[in-house]
Formats: sequence, structure tokens, C-alpha cells
Amino acid sequence: MSPTVLDIADLSSGYGEAIVLRNVSLSIRPGEIFALLGKNGMGKSTLLKTVLGFLPAKRGRIKLFGEDVTALPTHLIARKAIAYTPQEQTLFQDLTVEDNLRLGLRDDRGFAEGLARVSEYFPIVGKRLSQKAGTLSGGEQKMLIVSRALLGSPRLMMIDEISEGLQPSMIQRLTEILLAERKRTGTAIFVVEQNVPFAFSMADRYAVLKIGEIADDGVAGDELAAARVQDQLRV
Amino acid sequence: MTALVLDIVTTAAILFAVASGLLIILGVLKIVNFAHGGFLTIGGYSGLVVTQLGLNAWLAYPAAVVAGIVMGAVVERFVIRPLYDRPLDAILATWGLGIIIGQLITIVFGREIQFVQTPITGATSVFGETYSLYRLFLILAAAAVAGGIAALLNATRLGLEARAVIMNEPLARGLGINSGHVRFVTFCIGAGLASLAGALITPLSSVDPNMGVPWLVNAFMLVLVSSVSLASLAIAALTLGGAQVLVSTFISPVIGGLTIVVLAALLLRIRPAGFGHG
Ligand SMILES: Nc1ncnc2c1ncn2[C@@H]1O[C@H](COP(=O)(O)OP(=O)(O)OP(=O)(O)O)[C@@H](O)[C@H]1O
Ligand SMILES: [Mg+2]
Repeated sequence: MSPTVLDIADLSSGYGEAIVLRNVSLSIRPGEIFALLGKNGMGKSTLLKTVLGFLPAKRGRIKLFGEDVTALPTHLIARKAIAYTPQEQTLFQDLTVEDNLRLGLRDDRGFAEGLARVSEYFPIVGKRLSQKAGTLSGGEQKMLIVSRALLGSPRLMMIDEISEGLQPSMIQRLTEILLAERKRTGTAIFVVEQNVPFAFSMADRYAVLKIGEIADDGVAGDELAAARVQDQLRV
Repeated sequence: MTALVLDIVTTAAILFAVASGLLIILGVLKIVNFAHGGFLTIGGYSGLVVTQLGLNAWLAYPAAVVAGIVMGAVVERFVIRPLYDRPLDAILATWGLGIIIGQLITIVFGREIQFVQTPITGATSVFGETYSLYRLFLILAAAAVAGGIAALLNATRLGLEARAVIMNEPLARGLGINSGHVRFVTFCIGAGLASLAGALITPLSSVDPNMGVPWLVNAFMLVLVSSVSLASLAIAALTLGGAQVLVSTFISPVIGGLTIVVLAALLLRIRPAGFGHG
């Protein structure tokens, strides 16, 4: 039995004195796609930032692949076969597409092979290697972000609201790519989303975050769950 | 005329060599290293030690680089790193450190002005005017420094990681880059460059415990108008350094010494991005 990919127990965290997350527990198993949903400001991004060690846990414990990483510095957490895609400032705007991609790997070995692979998903990425990332269109930047995350064949992807501002066909394409990649490598995927149909088209399980606490969770399979979550995201 | 142009180019080369270390430290660590003048002085005295031991004058340069890197490593580890979350305190600490380095050098070497041997002596004829060979060599040296930094930044993995840290440190860390290590290496290289610059300029003048101060002031102003870009720094060194040469030659050397500070301050009023893109 392989250990859980991510195991969060009783986690509280926030900014300075302010507590944003309260007693959050959740776990993600190998190969599982887990969707975390919630309205604006509920603490979704805060949870990912705490897992990555950008914010210290005030209480509780975080395990990655069975190892306690609660007090580890960010770069060591990030090196554990994780691809983290923050919600904002996700690319180095003034670096080229190629340099942004290279930074998705710890060294330049395997770059050519990885590039060939992600270029099949997103041909444009392979064609614009010398363009500055900041000059790509919004949608192209998202393709670059996902390509960089896929480049190192991670065991866990953590993706913060990638669907924001994407056209429906692109969201559809992204779903297919993430599912294909899971099939290929068996990676687990932790998606933070407000787009319920997108999240539920991939997710095995879900949780809803409400003012820093998990208000609902379950199996993502049925229509009823999707409708209920959609309701919870309404004002 | 030829001599004047060469004076401008060599002065710019020297200024560039002196300021480059300050620039890369500001870029990666986001602090102004006021100990830069101290590191430069260490380089000058490395040259003096080489002279006093009667060694080959060329050894001054590797000796200065090694001394600067070692000092930089110690300072980063024990002064800068503990103050990582308090950048203002770190800047103050580098200021104090600069003073301490000056004092230590006074204790060891005395207060008096001393002279360092030159690896290249004599003059050559350039377009009919005789010009110091050593000053011409400084153009090569500055070009080598610029080329070395550019190659390190653009052609190595460490350079890529340093550029990533310069642009967005949290994102870099989230991708597994040990930004603490990048900061350490950058500080060591910056200190080594400062010290190398000190060794390069001493044959032109002399060494004394406070030799770094005027260089620090000029380098600081040049870096302020360069928005962390080596190309902008080269332009700033050429224009402001050129103005300094012109003022020193045609008005007075005393006012010439203030030219860079005054012009840089004016430039920043008119255009806060200085020679950078804004
Ligand atoms: N750097 C910060 N300093 C102080 N408070 C913050 C900081 N970042 C976020 N917060 C606060 O923490 C709470 C949760 O923010 P968070 O970004 O985790 O929300 P979110 O669920 O990701 O929302 P969204 O869907 O809008 O991205 C909000 O009240 C926000 O104002
Ligand atoms: Mg968010």
C-alpha cells in the first residue's frame, strides 16, 4: 500500500496574527484528482501556500508521500516531485518561454524529451521558445504554465484556478490533457477551482472550503453533488 | 582629443568594474551593500601584500578575487543571512561593516598612503598620442568582467536561477530553487568583483584605508540609475563617467569628483528609471 500523496491533518494557518484556515483535514491518494472549491476569499490559495511552506502552519501537520514536511523550507518541499502552479504571477514575464520551461525541471537533463512531450499537447509552446512569456496571450500563458508543470512528470500537481479566463474549448482541452497525463504517469492532481463543471469533469473527490473550514466533501461522481456544490458557490 | 576619448573610455571601464558587483548584489539580494567600498579596499590591499612579498604583480588579481570571495562568504553567512527578513537592518549592517573593514585595515597596515606595483608599465602610441598601457589594459579587464557576468547569467543554470530569483523570488522557490544558495553565491561573486576592482584601480593611484569611499559613492549612484541591468550600467558608466572626465579636464578635478553624484541625482528627478526601461 503506497502512502497517501498529500495528508493534511488539523491544519490552521493565516497571515501574521490573522487566522484564515481552521482545522482543515484532507488527504489525496496516488493518482487521485481532488477538487477544492469555494467562493472568493475562503482560503483556497492560502491552503496551497501553506502546503508549499510559504506560510507557516500555526497548528496541525502536512505530510507529502508519507513524510512530514510541515516545517520544511519551500524549495525542499517543491523538489518532492511536486508541480505547484500559483494563482497569480505564475510565469517569469521577462524570461523566454524556453527559460520558463527549463525552470520546471531541476536541471537541464531531460529537457528535450519533456519539451517534445508537452509540445504534443500544446504545439504553440514549442514554436514560441524564444518569445518573452509576458508577451504571450492570456490563454497561451496558461498553456505555458501547464506545460511547465507537466515537464517534470510530477507525482502531485497543485493547480490554483487555472480555468480563470479560459474559453470553454480550451477548458475542455485542458481536462483531456490532465486526464491523459494522469493515465500516463499516475500523478495525483489537486485542483483549486470555482468552475464546478470543469472541476467535476475530472475530479474523483471534492471538498468545499467556507471561511477557512471544510463545509462539505465527498465523491465527485454524481450530478447531485455537482449541483449541491454549485449551490454553495452561489452568493 | 584621442587622449580625452581614451580617458572617458577607461574611466567608464573602471567605473563599470567597480559598480558591477554592487549591481548584481542589489539585483539578487535586494539590498545595497555598503560594505562594497570595504571589499574594494581589501582588493587594493591584496595588491599591496603581493607587492610587499615581492611576488609577480599579476598575482594581485587572483589574490584579490580570492580574498573578496572569502570575505563575502563570511559576511553573507554571519551578517546578511540572519537579517534576511529585515532588509533595512541588513543594509545598516553592511554600512557598519564597511567602517569595521576600514578600521581593521588601519590596524594591520597603518593609516598612511602606500603604493602598489603595476603589472604593465609604460605607454604606447594611439593615433599619434602616447597613452598609458595600463589604462588601456583596464578596458580589456572591464570587458572581461562584463563578458564573464553576462556569460554566467545567460549561459549557466545558476545564472538562469539567479535571473528567476531577481524577477520573482517566491515563484522561484515554489519551483524548487534554493534562493538562499543563489543569494550566497551572488554575494560572494559581488564581493569578489569589488575586490578585483580594488586591485585593478590601485596601480593608478595608491592604497589607503578609506580608498573605497569615493568609489562606493559613485558606484552607488551608477547602480541607482541602472535599474539592475548590466547594459544600462555600461551606458551609465560611459555617460556619467564621461561627464566626470570632461568636468575634471575643463573645469576642475574637485568639481569633477562630484559630477556623477550630481548628474545621477538630477537624472533620477527627471526620470526615476534612470537609464533603465522604466
Ligand atoms: N498576503 C495576505 N495578507 C493578509 N491577508 C491575506 C493575504 N492573502 C490572502 N489574505 C486573506 O486571506 C483570506 C483567504 O484568501 P485566499 O487567497 O486564500 O482566498 P481564495 O479562496 O484563494 O480566494 P480566490 O478564489 O479569490 O482566489 C482572504 O480573506 C484574504 O483577504
Ligand atoms: Mg485564490
